[in-house]
Amino acid sequence: MSFSSVNISVEAPIENQIQEITYDGTEIYQPPLSLSESLAKYAQKIDFSKTADTDIKKEPDLSEDAKSDSDSKDAFQSSLWPWDSVRNKLRDAFQEVCVLADVLAVAKEKRYMVLDPVQQETQETKPMVQIYARKIALTGAAKVLVTGAERLKSSQTELARNRTTPGFHIELLRLRQNWRLKKVSNTIIGDLSYRTAGSKYLQSGTFEVTKAEDDDKTNSPPSSPLPGSNPTPKTNSALRVQIPSELQGVAYIEVMCQKDQEDLCSINVNLLGSGPTASNTDMHWQQKLEAAQNVLFCKELFNQLAKEAVQLQAPIPHMVVGNQIMATVLPGIQLIIGLCHSANGEKKQEKPAPSKSDHDHVLEHSLHQLLREVHHKNTHHPFPHPATGPLGPSKKRMLAGPMAADRHELLEMTRTDTLLEQIVKQAQHFIMRMRTEYVLDTIAKEVKDPLICSHWNTLNSPTQSCVKINISTHGYDAVCRTPLVIHVGEKSLKCICRDGKVMNMSYEPQELRDLIFCHINQHQILAVQALARTMGWQALGNSNHLGTGPVELLGNASSCLLVSPTGDRIIAVKCEPNQTGIQAGIQVSVAHSPRTDFFPSRLVTERKWEHLGGQFRDVRLDKMEGRNFLHKMELLMASLTSNL
Amino acid sequence: MSMPRNLPQSKEALLKSYRTRLKDDVKSMLENFEGIVKLAKGEHDTQLSRMTQCEQDTYEMHVRAANIVRAGESLMKLVSDIKQYLILNDFPSVNEAITQNSKLFRTKQSECDQKLMSLRDDMAADLYDLEEEYYSSINK
Repeated sequence: MSFSSVNISVEAPIENQIQEITYDGTEIYQPPLSLSESLAKYAQKIDFSKTADTDIKKEPDLSEDAKSDSDSKDAFQSSLWPWDSVRNKLRDAFQEVCVLADVLAVAKEKRYMVLDPVQQETQETKPMVQIYARKIALTGAAKVLVTGAERLKSSQTELARNRTTPGFHIELLRLRQNWRLKKVSNTIIGDLSYRTAGSKYLQSGTFEVTKAEDDDKTNSPPSSPLPGSNPTPKTNSALRVQIPSELQGVAYIEVMCQKDQEDLCSINVNLLGSGPTASNTDMHWQQKLEAAQNVLFCKELFNQLAKEAVQLQAPIPHMVVGNQIMATVLPGIQLIIGLCHSANGEKKQEKPAPSKSDHDHVLEHSLHQLLREVHHKNTHHPFPHPATGPLGPSKKRMLAGPMAADRHELLEMTRTDTLLEQIVKQAQHFIMRMRTEYVLDTIAKEVKDPLICSHWNTLNSPTQSCVKINISTHGYDAVCRTPLVIHVGEKSLKCICRDGKVMNMSYEPQELRDLIFCHINQHQILAVQALARTMGWQALGNSNHLGTGPVELLGNASSCLLVSPTGDRIIAVKCEPNQTGIQAGIQVSVAHSPRTDFFPSRLVTERKWEHLGGQFRDVRLDKMEGRNFLHKMELLMASLTSNL
Repeated sequence: MSMPRNLPQSKEALLKSYRTRLKDDVKSMLENFEGIVKLAKGEHDTQLSRMTQCEQDTYEMHVRAANIVRAGESLMKLVSDIKQYLILNDFPSVNEAITQNSKLFRTKQSECDQKLMSLRDDMAADLYDLEEEYYSSINK
């Protein structure tokens, strides 16, 4: 008989233990233990240090306690608390062990019970059963193997089926070809900073590459197709990049040239959603990384500019307020450089008022260019330079020794324009160019008679451009033209006149305007003379700065005197640099000598005295035929000549 | 495996670990399979009762089968790890990619430059004509 047939049931009494019986016979029961009390009690009883056999001796007396304890437990068996199952199991085990100990103890005494070896029954299980069992076992094992293989196979087919979306490793390879990656313990870390390209910005641009989980791979909505740089137009990829939060979103540098601004600090930085509006999660990693890199670049650029703005000693100090730098370009005109960084969340509400600002894309581009140049210079030193050191003297510096440069020259060499200075210069030039354009256009519009034709030079630099101005009269370009060349610099204009004179002007547009008007005057006078020459008339004299007449607003009047081929007609032209209207400043007078009809008077008794020249009579030009001044003059001259 | 370059210590160790992983997994597969076959033969006498022995064998077979599967998956993981390692550390191919990219971008740049230049020239010529026309016209 095996031991398993012996059933020893240990039951706990249903009632609680009696604590006391009073004289009148009422029984006072022990209150059931609370949860914590009983836990403490059980915990005390567990003695793990004891081995099983040493335990056995003590077990019997303990078992009683256990039994009594289990009584109290029955009261809240149903209650569920975290240790409940543990407690139950422990108790069950404990009970069994107690019973076993009891049995062993009884058996050891040999007085009440003797353990006899049981004769092993001859194998009644047939070998067939064993084979069946083995078969079942093998089937089970085979099933495990098959399911494992199935899993591998399914994952493989899954991969094959999704050939259109390249796997993680293909993506990783592609990522590796475009970005810097390295493995740090179990994660793949990438770097998108410009440090290898010469940047010295401290903020790190690390990102983490993870494998996309299958579930979010299927859940993610199809993203917009990629730009041309990456030729695979896939909806989702098996790769995720995690970008630090400060590099997320879209950033750009906003550059504005503003006129006098009263409220200096209340400019609202508008974040126009120029970037891709897709949220970060559904963007392809390439776009995501490019955007992050752009954010980093913009931050570096702004940081550099802000640093320079604080350090530079400008006559009007630059201001750095929040993420804005304000620099005065020309009196009354500010250059505002702002860093706009929109994280994804706030992009939606920032939409309004995007087009209000006159954001200057050209200057923004120049800023980018300038910083890239700095990066380039940081990595590309002029040869020869020491192979080990990152620094090398500049070409100029190397020549300084042989050329025996003095201290001043050396100092001059070390001075380089900061980014801010350069961009301010560019902005100044930009403003100057705009002003010049405006002045020329308005003059061309105002003044109809001599045509003012300006041609902007194609070849120019960010701080230098050139405009060629031709003053000519319509139909008479061959007779006389007044060319002017104006070099537009950063803060000044240089005008090279027809006669080779060089005029330097400041940034005030009025100066240019005056100069052009003077030249218009000169042109008229010169043109008349040239015309007269072609008509056979003679120029008696001309003066660019006539001292007579009323004081002019601007400069002096100029005049000339023409005489007909036969010498009997004189035309006087006076040109006042009066800026209003067409031909308003031009006076033309005619004199005949001798007059065709002569009547001797008391004063002029003989005809010969008439040759001295007579009275000038004004010609009313506005009543004359002719398209323009020169045409009228031609007609006038012609008529005076033919009158002969 | 020929790794002639003098790799840094950690890389060497990593590669060695890959090798040991491969060997271990293959060995584990083989051993477990052999175990299963041996169990299937059932030529072992023990003191245990037959039924118990059967149960034990069944259990052992299951475990061994599971071990084989685990070893297989571990091999898959190894393959993926090696792939990753190769991708991340294959500098010659990365250099090649970089050269290719830079070449591509250079050609693109020169292309763009050329186009911009021709565009500029065209525009300049047109601008000249337009300016001429505009400034000599009556309507400004």
